[in-house]
Amino acid sequence: MASGEAPPEITDSVRQQASDLGWEDGLIDRALAQGHALQVILGALQTNVGGAQAKAFLDQERSNPSLDWMTAPTEWGVRGTPSDAEMGLQIGDVMVGSYGEIPDVWTNRTEIARGSHPAEGQEDMGYTIFEKAIVWTDSAPSLYERAIRDRWAAATDLGWRSLEALPDEIERAICQLLTEQSERAYAEATVLGRWLPEISYGFVEVKLFLGSVIYDLGRHAEAFRKRALANGGGLGLQAPSHFIRGAIEARTFPELMAYLFVQDSTLLTLFGAAQDFAQNQLERDLYRFVAADRERIMEYQIDRLSSFLEKLPDRRAEQNRYLRKAEVRLAREWRDAAVSEPLALLLGGGEQGLAAGGAALTQLRRRQIEEYLAHLESAGFTRERLHSGLAAYLEGEPGA
Amino acid sequence: MSAAPETGELDLSWLDLYDEPTAAEPTNKGLTLEAIDIGPYASRDEAPRDMTSRLRGAKPREGALRQGLSYQTRADVWADQCRSLYEEAVQRQWSSARDIPWDTLHELPDETERAMCQLSTMLAEVEFIAGDVPGQWLPAISGEEFEVGLFLTTQIMDEARHADVFRKRALANGGGMLAQGAALGLRNLLDAKDFTEMSVLMHVQAEGFVQSMFRMGELIGPTQADKRIFRMAAQDESRHLAFGVMHLKHVLTETPERREEIHHYLDKAEGEAAAGGGGDVTFPPVFESLALLLGGGKGRFDEGIAKLLLLRKRQVKEYLHRLDVAGLGDRRERLGPALAQFADA
Repeated sequence: MASGEAPPEITDSVRQQASDLGWEDGLIDRALAQGHALQVILGALQTNVGGAQAKAFLDQERSNPSLDWMTAPTEWGVRGTPSDAEMGLQIGDVMVGSYGEIPDVWTNRTEIARGSHPAEGQEDMGYTIFEKAIVWTDSAPSLYERAIRDRWAAATDLGWRSLEALPDEIERAICQLLTEQSERAYAEATVLGRWLPEISYGFVEVKLFLGSVIYDLGRHAEAFRKRALANGGGLGLQAPSHFIRGAIEARTFPELMAYLFVQDSTLLTLFGAAQDFAQNQLERDLYRFVAADRERIMEYQIDRLSSFLEKLPDRRAEQNRYLRKAEVRLAREWRDAAVSEPLALLLGGGEQGLAAGGAALTQLRRRQIEEYLAHLESAGFTRERLHSGLAAYLEGEPGA
Repeated sequence: MSAAPETGELDLSWLDLYDEPTAAEPTNKGLTLEAIDIGPYASRDEAPRDMTSRLRGAKPREGALRQGLSYQTRADVWADQCRSLYEEAVQRQWSSARDIPWDTLHELPDETERAMCQLSTMLAEVEFIAGDVPGQWLPAISGEEFEVGLFLTTQIMDEARHADVFRKRALANGGGMLAQGAALGLRNLLDAKDFTEMSVLMHVQAEGFVQSMFRMGELIGPTQADKRIFRMAAQDESRHLAFGVMHLKHVLTETPERREEIHHYLDKAEGEAAAGGGGDVTFPPVFESLALLLGGGKGRFDEGIAKLLLLRKRQVKEYLHRLDVAGLGDRRERLGPALAQFADA
C-alpha cells in the first residue's frame, strides 16, 4: 500500500468470515498495515486459513498447531509385513487389522481412503458401486501384484530384428488378425476405463487390479499394431463392431463383466493355442505374454462371478441374458470372413491349406467354447442354453 | 462380409487391402510407437473419422457401428511427444512391492510417524481420483489419436501404483490411515466437461503441485523408503505433467481462440482450492503434517512452516513456469488469490 493511500474498506461480512475462522480482532488490519494486499487476505479467508496460522504467518511467532488429526480414531499400531520375500510388500500384506476388512456395503460417498477417519462436509464424488458383491474378489490384491511383477514391454521384450519375410498371404493373414485384435484390446480398455470412476474406495484393491488390466490391454493393442506394421504388411480391415458395442451398452458393472466374460474367455483360449498359428519366435513370445496377462483377467472374471452368484443368488438367471447377448454377437463375428479366414489360413499354412485350416479352426472354436463353458462352471454357473451359433461348433456344424 | 472357411465357403477379399507394404524399423530403443508412425499409418491433422472403434490406419468396414461420441479434431486431445511419453512409461514401470526398500523403515518418533501417515492418507486419496479421471476420458479419444489413449492407460497404471504405495506406507511402519485429508479440489477434476479442461486442471495444475511436493521428498521423507517413494512417484508425475504441458501448448497453437476459455477453467480451480486437485495444503491435517515433517518435529514446527511456505512458493513458481512454457504466460497477471500470495513479484 502506497504511503498516504487510504486503507481499503473491510466489509462486515469479511470480518465475520475471519472471526468464524478464529482470526482475532484486528488481525486483518494488522495484515494490511504490514503490507499484505486485500486480495491476499481474502484469498487466505477463502481457503480457510485458520486464525492461528494467519497470526503465525504475520508475526513469525511460534506456531501453535492443533494437531487434531494425530488423534484421529483409526486403528494405530498395525504393521504390514511381506508374506513372500520374493514378491516384496504386497497390497494384500497391508490388509491387516481393520484395514483388511472389506465391508459388504461401503457407505461413504466421498473419496475417503478406506480405513481413514472421515472429515465432515466432504463432497459426494458420484460413485455408484458400493456393494462388495458387485466387484470384489479375494484374489484381486494378488492379481494386481502379479500384473506388476510380470510386466513386459512391446518395444524391447520382443525380437523385432528377428523378423523375416513371410509369404504375402501369410503376412497379410497375420496383419488382418492383429488389426482386429489390436482394436478389440484397445476398445476393451476404454470400456473398462469408463467404469473406474463408478467404483468407490471401499474396494480399492479391485480398482488397482482393473488399472493393471486397462494398462495390459493398452499394451496388447500397441504390440499387435507394431507386429502388423513391422514386416512388410500393414493394417487390414477394422474389427467387426457389434460385440464391443454390446459392452459399451452395459448399464451395470455385473452386466459388463458377464458380457465381457465371453470375449475374455474365448480370447484366452485363442492366445493359449497360438503356437498353432504363430509363424515365428516373436509371435510365440507375443502371444505367450498376452495369454499370461489374460490369465489374470480370467481369474478375476471367474472369482467375481462366483462371489457375485454366491452373495446375490437371485441374480443368477439374469446373467443368461448378458451371456446370450454376447454369444449372439460373438457367433456373428466368428462368421465374418475377415475374422475367420485369416485364422484358417494361418492354421492351414497358406491358401493351399485353407481346407485343412478350416477344419483346424473348427477344432479351435470348439475348444474356445468348451473352455468358456468350463470357465463358467468354475464360477459355479452352468450355461444350459448356449446360443445355437456357438453350439453348432460343438455339434460339428459350424456353418449352421 | 460373411463366410465360413470351416465349410469351404470363402471370401478372401481382406487379402487385397495392402497397397503400401510397411516394414517399420526398430530403433535403439526397440520398436517404438514413433518407429511405426509411418506412411499411411502416421498421425495427421486431416484424417477420415467415423466415431467407430477403428484405430488409425485400419481400413473402414462398411456398416461399422458408431460407438459413442469421441473427439473428431486432433487438436482437442493431441500432445506432441505422447508417443515417447508412452514408451517411457512402459519402460519405467516400477513395483511398489519390490522397488521400495521397505526394510529401511524404522521406528520413528510417534509424531513423525503420524505425520507421514497423515500425508500418505491424503496422497492415497488424491492418487485414487487421479486414476479415475483418465479412465473417464478414454472413450472420448478417437482411434485416430489412439496414442493419447495409450498414454492415459499408463497414467491409470501409474496412479494405481501411487494409491497403492502411499497406502502401503501408511500401514507398513506401525502407523495407520489417519484423517481424510484431501478436502477441496478433487471434484474439479471429475467435473471437467472437456478434455483440455481436464488436462490443464489435472496434468498441469494438480499433478504439478503434487510433483513439486514430491521433488522435496528428500526433505519430507524421514526414511530411505519414504525418500524413494517420493522419487519414484515424482518420475511418473513428470510424464503426466509433460503430457499436460505439451497438450496445452498444442491447443494454444492450433486453436488460439481457446485461450480465454482455458483461463476460465483455471480461474475456477484456483479460486476453489489452494492446490487445485492436488489436495488442499491449507487443510489442517495436510498443512500441519507437512510442516511437522519439513521442520523435523513438533518442537521445530515454525521451521517447518517456513519450509512449507517455501514449498508453496516453489509450487506456484513452477506452476507459472509450466504455463509459460505451454504459452499461457499471461496467467501470472490473473492468478487466483490463494496462489498469488506465493508468486514472486
